[in-house]
Amino acid sequence: MRSSLLALWGLVLLVSSLSGRLDLLLRGIFHPLVGLSGAVLLVLAALQLPAELGAGRRPPTPKSWWITGLVALLVLVIAPNPSFSDLAANRPAELGEEAELSFLLPPAQRSLTDWVRLLRSQPDPSLYAGDPVRISGFVWPQPGEAPQLARLLVRCCLADATPVGLPVRWPAGQVPQADQWLAVQGRMAVEEHNGQSRSVVVAQRLTPIARPSRPLEP
Amino acid sequence: MERLATAWAIFQGLLLEALPFLLIGVAIASLARWIAPGGGWLRRLPHHPVLGPLTGAALGFALPACECGNVPVARRLLAGGAPLGTALGFLFAAPVLNPIVLASTWAAFPNQPWLLAARPGGALLLSLLLASVLRLLPEAHLLEPALLEERRLNQPLAEVGLLERRSGLVGAATPTAPAPPPRLPLQDVLQHGSREFLDLAALLVLGCAIAATVQTLLPRSWLLAVGGAPTLSVLSLMLLAVVVSVCSSVDAFLALGFAAQVTPGALLAFLVLGPVVDLKLLGLFRVLFQPRAIALTAAAASVAVLVLGQWVNLLLL
Repeated sequence: MRSSLLALWGLVLLVSSLSGRLDLLLRGIFHPLVGLSGAVLLVLAALQLPAELGAGRRPPTPKSWWITGLVALLVLVIAPNPSFSDLAANRPAELGEEAELSFLLPPAQRSLTDWVRLLRSQPDPSLYAGDPVRISGFVWPQPGEAPQLARLLVRCCLADATPVGLPVRWPAGQVPQADQWLAVQGRMAVEEHNGQSRSVVVAQRLTPIARPSRPLEP
Repeated sequence: MERLATAWAIFQGLLLEALPFLLIGVAIASLARWIAPGGGWLRRLPHHPVLGPLTGAALGFALPACECGNVPVARRLLAGGAPLGTALGFLFAAPVLNPIVLASTWAAFPNQPWLLAARPGGALLLSLLLASVLRLLPEAHLLEPALLEERRLNQPLAEVGLLERRSGLVGAATPTAPAPPPRLPLQDVLQHGSREFLDLAALLVLGCAIAATVQTLLPRSWLLAVGGAPTLSVLSLMLLAVVVSVCSSVDAFLALGFAAQVTPGALLAFLVLGPVVDLKLLGLFRVLFQPRAIALTAAAASVAVLVLGQWVNLLLL
């Protein structure tokens, strides 16, 4: 039983690593460690299996091992499918970066996260009015106002995911559903919000897209 | 249903990130068992109430892992008969006093040199305090029964009464220089390490399940809403550290996300308390301590970190 459980956990780690599941759960820096640990557990299981099979009387398997074996099977079978807007709704939107950017891409090449970082470092909305915008993200509902387009930043794993979002002026009659992934083309504009000017993306074209294979950003 | 799916994903994220570190910790503990089977060197570590925990904390530099990996190594130290203070010092300080954690703190806060000194300093103070508090409990009330039994076998008779041991010889002549026990066969070491890994994985699953559930139900924005108030900000960041349960090697990057919104004392409280007490760890601690000792650890660490956070706010605000 011991070898089988080790092999099962090894399989969980290895399959998670090879199937791309980790892209949805962990920051990339940890992926090789998870895969390597899975391989080590499989080797450990293989090394111990002959001796375990050859042993006459085996000690009883603790109940906790059975339960975790079941959990490992569930992890293997049920892939994670979090609601990004649900994750974002539970967390404050903070970027936490230094207010300086090392380089700046042309407007049409900036990702949503690039735009948010830029707006944090140089928050004068008039600088960007009229700039072309091509971004993608998920729809993040906002209480009392139009939903934003957002991404999740992750420093370790999904547990510390932090949302960053851009206000969007959606085309009339086309307010999208929460959690939907969209590619948005439009222009940056300035609007008044709570007595202050802020940048807003005026969406001209919305294209529903599938969730990217690597939806989390560092 | 959406909430459940999100909690399941957070659970998987926490578990898959922590399991490799757990494996590293078990590997180091097993290697120590194989290289020095009798653990004679463990018993020669200092017993002094201050030097012991300090030595334990310094051992953290040999284990570049987070708090999950520390638990099996601390268990090995305790089982091998190491002085209690040394093992506790290692358990509580090593998750911060190790090269990876110090480097990540430096990488996250290069412009806050006070934090680079205060974090390891705070961790060291906290480990000294927790070691002193937990030493007040008799070992029989402190340590988990199976661990206590293994520890008794490895402690010199001068420290343990015969009635406290469950095995051994009464009336046998004491050899003047006991021969060191033979090195265990590799298969035995692998077997023991595997059992330990599976036992700890079970507790890790429990801790991750609790952490994922609480995280999904408790909006993090509530915890950060009181950022500017000195005492409330320290308390809220302490609670956040306990709930989020991320590993100490990356928690500085997480702290970076809200560093500008909270008081310096709250920031330090988050970085010092998280590696010692969090929901994920409370499960793992069950292989070391009895429930009363876990509660005492959590309470003492919380009070100490609150006071530390307040002092820092008093100095820096």
